Amino acid sequence: MLRLIFQRLVALVPLLFIVSVLTFSFTSLLPSDPVDLIIGDTGTQEQYEIVRERLGMNQPVVVRYFQWLGRAAQGDLGTSFFNSVSVMGAVMQRLPVTLSLTVVSALVAIVVGVSAGIAAALRPRSWIDRLATLGATFGQAVPNFWFGLILVAIFAVNLRWFPATGFTPVSASPWEWLRSVILPSIALGTSSSAAIARQVRSAMVGVLQQDYIRAARAQGLSTRRIILKHALTNAMVPVVAVLSFQITVLLGGALIVEQVFAINGLGTLAIGAVRQQDIPMIQGIVLVMVALVVAVQLATDVIYGLLNPKARPS
Amino acid sequence: MLTSPETQGWEGRMRNWITGTVLGVALAFGGSSALAQQAGTFKYAEQVKLITMDPQQQSGSGVPYLRPVYESLFERGPDGKPVPLLAKAYEVDGLYVTIKLREAISFSNGEAFNAEVAAANINRGVKLAIIEGLKTVESAEAVDEYSVRIKLKEPDPAIIDSLCHTGGMMIAPAAMADPAIDRNPIGTGPYVYSKELSREGEVRVYTPNPTYWDKDKIGLERYEVWELPDDTARLNALKTGQIDAGNWLANPQSAIIDRTPGLKLIRNTGGLNYHIILSDREGTVVPAFADPNVRKAMAHAIDREAFGKAVQFGLAQKSFQPYAEGDWAYDPALEGIYEYDLDKAREFMARSKFPDGFAFDMPSIPIYQSRLEALAGFFKEIGITMNIVPVEPGTLARRSRTTDFPATNLVWATNTDPKFLALRYIYEDAAYNPFKAKPSDELLALARQGLQSVETDVRGPVYKQMASRLADEAFLIFVTNTPILIGVSEKTADNPTVVYRFGEDSINLRGLKAND
Repeated sequence: MLRLIFQRLVALVPLLFIVSVLTFSFTSLLPSDPVDLIIGDTGTQEQYEIVRERLGMNQPVVVRYFQWLGRAAQGDLGTSFFNSVSVMGAVMQRLPVTLSLTVVSALVAIVVGVSAGIAAALRPRSWIDRLATLGATFGQAVPNFWFGLILVAIFAVNLRWFPATGFTPVSASPWEWLRSVILPSIALGTSSSAAIARQVRSAMVGVLQQDYIRAARAQGLSTRRIILKHALTNAMVPVVAVLSFQITVLLGGALIVEQVFAINGLGTLAIGAVRQQDIPMIQGIVLVMVALVVAVQLATDVIYGLLNPKARPS
Repeated sequence: MLTSPETQGWEGRMRNWITGTVLGVALAFGGSSALAQQAGTFKYAEQVKLITMDPQQQSGSGVPYLRPVYESLFERGPDGKPVPLLAKAYEVDGLYVTIKLREAISFSNGEAFNAEVAAANINRGVKLAIIEGLKTVESAEAVDEYSVRIKLKEPDPAIIDSLCHTGGMMIAPAAMADPAIDRNPIGTGPYVYSKELSREGEVRVYTPNPTYWDKDKIGLERYEVWELPDDTARLNALKTGQIDAGNWLANPQSAIIDRTPGLKLIRNTGGLNYHIILSDREGTVVPAFADPNVRKAMAHAIDREAFGKAVQFGLAQKSFQPYAEGDWAYDPALEGIYEYDLDKAREFMARSKFPDGFAFDMPSIPIYQSRLEALAGFFKEIGITMNIVPVEPGTLARRSRTTDFPATNLVWATNTDPKFLALRYIYEDAAYNPFKAKPSDELLALARQGLQSVETDVRGPVYKQMASRLADEAFLIFVTNTPILIGVSEKTADNPTVVYRFGEDSINLRGLKAND
């Protein structure tokens, strides 16, 4: 297992390099110009040239990239084009916010998805199964930003149970933190819970028809024990793969949901940076997101190996 | 007549001393009771993200983030005319402006505010060259401890008005020397920025300035400016009481505020004028634009009433001139000069050399797309095809300064001094005259005449004539005016200490108290 982790970490280096080259290249191709935003509508050509030089944008893209790479290799992702905020500082400030949202959304997705999937699998073609299938279809079809707006309208604006906007750090108040992440997490996690429910149902239906389940029943084991200990463990193997993909989806979805709830996470930072074409900030965000996705995949491989000994690397 | 800076006519020497309020007694008695008055929190939401807290590098919106910390030399009074704030009085003498400063004022870090500091501030602003209002300033120097003299490059009747805004905001010497000034602002204002309590990208928190020179004017324990760029999120925050007030553009959310019980949409003085600029007015690329009949036809073809209702959600008014009602340069006689009249528009087209119409390209950014689609529909009625060409957001201003397009569409802040109208559109080297079209003699003479006095009573009639002449030449087609929109809760609307700054999307913090 340690070897797997090591291999993945080594593979991360070329991956980050390729991603950084692509991001830098694509951002440089954009026709908009951050210098325009800095000098404003009334800026002169002279000011334009001064600011362009200050930002180093009068140098070729390749030179700029390698200058950035040299600093990044030493852990310095630079500072924003627009102010003195360090990229690493900005990303690290927002990372816990987006992670909070993603983790709670994943919990929502797992709890709702697994429960609905098991309930549907235990009584195939019953009304519970049909309801779960309908719910899963709804969950996958509804855009999370729209669902978020509906949740805000009902539970924040009308009932006033939750705040309509913003995020409270857990260190400031665990209760307020929970209140601030519940609605966005439901909005974000619903779609993933639908995908998980479908996968769990399908896997469970298959597992429950296996001989060893019949044998367990014949031995007089309780249904609860059969499901939780024998059936679910095996059914979870394909579910873990889906979950890994869904967590990546949640990370991406958080970027949109953060806008609806005015949450100051990586998504809000990314959208602002793209709008301003703040290249150092965009680079930093993309690299951190790639590292996060790789970490999720690595964790998936580890869990997969724990659940399925056959999948462990020799 | 064009005159050199040394000989130009300022109608003799102009002296305009404005005596400031004597504050000694108030300061002496205000200290002890002031702390007891500082209570509660006021929360304001800003629609643009904070870029910098350095006022001299601030090129666009975002002034509400600066006002708690920074005070300017002058500010606009309730009627829009400059009144002293950190200044006590001023004198304009040809190309020199002498400003007397208030005494015994210090920055929140303890540094003294004096003429040396004021001059250093102005010189820094000139060097950075971001602020449009300081572009006529050559330099500034201290005359004595509390008198600073500004030397102008050319006569500038709007210089005092420019010092009401970011150009006149005074920064502490230590902050000016700090490379991270954009996040470490230090001014003389009633509040200080708390980096510890603020959350980057989310909320800026300000607490009372213990060294403030007019402590009685500090009414809050805490002032917060929330960065909420999403219009719906900002609306929800207002509805749920998470914020007390916030600024909006004319969009569906502000229209909702306008009709929601318990909320109020304040229409503050100033705002934005949306207009079309026929940059190629000599017909280099689009010959039809050289024909005044075509330009007048286009101006008559726009149903501004319908445009305002459909595209700007009923929050805009018809516009036929660059100034808004209430402005000293506004001319009521121009109202309706290009009222929607399709028959008249067709008559003008028939009279032109292009009776069968023509086509031209118009740049568009996403927020103007629906406006341009509506305008294209109006122009189609008189045989003119306007091709809408999308350009990258953030590049419209720059592209409009090039010959890439024969026409463009922009907004103009109606509280801007009219002298900037000539600098942007009229002069041969104006920023938005990329084809270098020569202005008519009449227009040029009026633009220059407007610079010959600092008195708005003198300048007003001149700029009214200029607006009339602009209407006649019709290369600027004004469409609508949208006032500055501030959405507030019912409690804020009923709070007598809430005073909206003239021509700004912010609340005057001096004397502001919490709603509860």
